[in-house]
Amino acid sequence: MSDKLIKRRRLTMSWNFEKEEQWLNEMSRDGMHFKKASMASSFFAKDESVRYTYRLDYQTGQKLGSSKFQEYIDLYQDAGWEYVSSYGSLWHYFRREWQPGEEPRLYTDRDSLIQLYKRLQGVMAVMMLVNLVIMLANMVNLRNFFSGDRLWTIGLPVTVLYLLLFGVLGYGCWRMQKKVNALKL
Amino acid sequence: MKEMLPLTEAFYYILIVLYTEPSHGYGIMQDTEKRSGGRVKLGAGTLYTALNTLLGKGLIEQYPVPEGADSRRKMYAITENGMLVVEAEIARLEELLNVGRQALITKKG
Repeated sequence: MSDKLIKRRRLTMSWNFEKEEQWLNEMSRDGMHFKKASMASSFFAKDESVRYTYRLDYQTGQKLGSSKFQEYIDLYQDAGWEYVSSYGSLWHYFRREWQPGEEPRLYTDRDSLIQLYKRLQGVMAVMMLVNLVIMLANMVNLRNFFSGDRLWTIGLPVTVLYLLLFGVLGYGCWRMQKKVNALKL
Repeated sequence: MKEMLPLTEAFYYILIVLYTEPSHGYGIMQDTEKRSGGRVKLGAGTLYTALNTLLGKGLIEQYPVPEGADSRRKMYAITENGMLVVEAEIARLEELLNVGRQALITKKG
């Protein structure tokens, strides 16, 4: 086992956290164990002698290092989950040693899973609203950019960027709603 | 209070376990699994979310950790309201069971 961390591109979106879990689990199967995540990369430690099952948890209102956060990871630890790291104090990575035929989960009933998806959806909805306010505020400033050739250099690119962000967030909200609906009877 | 019903299995087991005596998260997990004959295994995320919801609704509360116990583990106790809710749920379940059993007997009879 070496202490050197290996960097890999990370391209998953928030609503695809199950896919990220799957990826981390496959990496772990191949001896690459997730340590921490940054904006666009994930870092792994190589160790052929172990294999883990990784799970992501999403919690708002957690301050890393606070006593509330300590209670949170203590509870998960009691349940057999080792705390690995957090990303942006919202996403928390846990793992436990892999066992054949076992599929351990953090969320074991429909209601708590629905709550989890709704927490995610709520944050994306808020981000959309914030984005809207910023966009409108900027539109007022940018109004003079929309005239003449500035339209192509500033006006249009900025608008496209905002719309793209809207699209991504809107799509995320919609995906969460689909997941919630699929769970409801 | 009625709007809390029906309780999810997780809520129900947490309240039932705490009805007997105050406990910590890990104790609730183990006790739930034992009492359900191994059927109900509360995931850490499910338990954590449920405890926070129950605290928020005032059905359970923090309980001071007794001397000598592991102070790292936060303890929970059921409140008066929590007892009322779980008793109402048991009455509701009893009605459901009775109606169902009655139907089975009538059919066979």
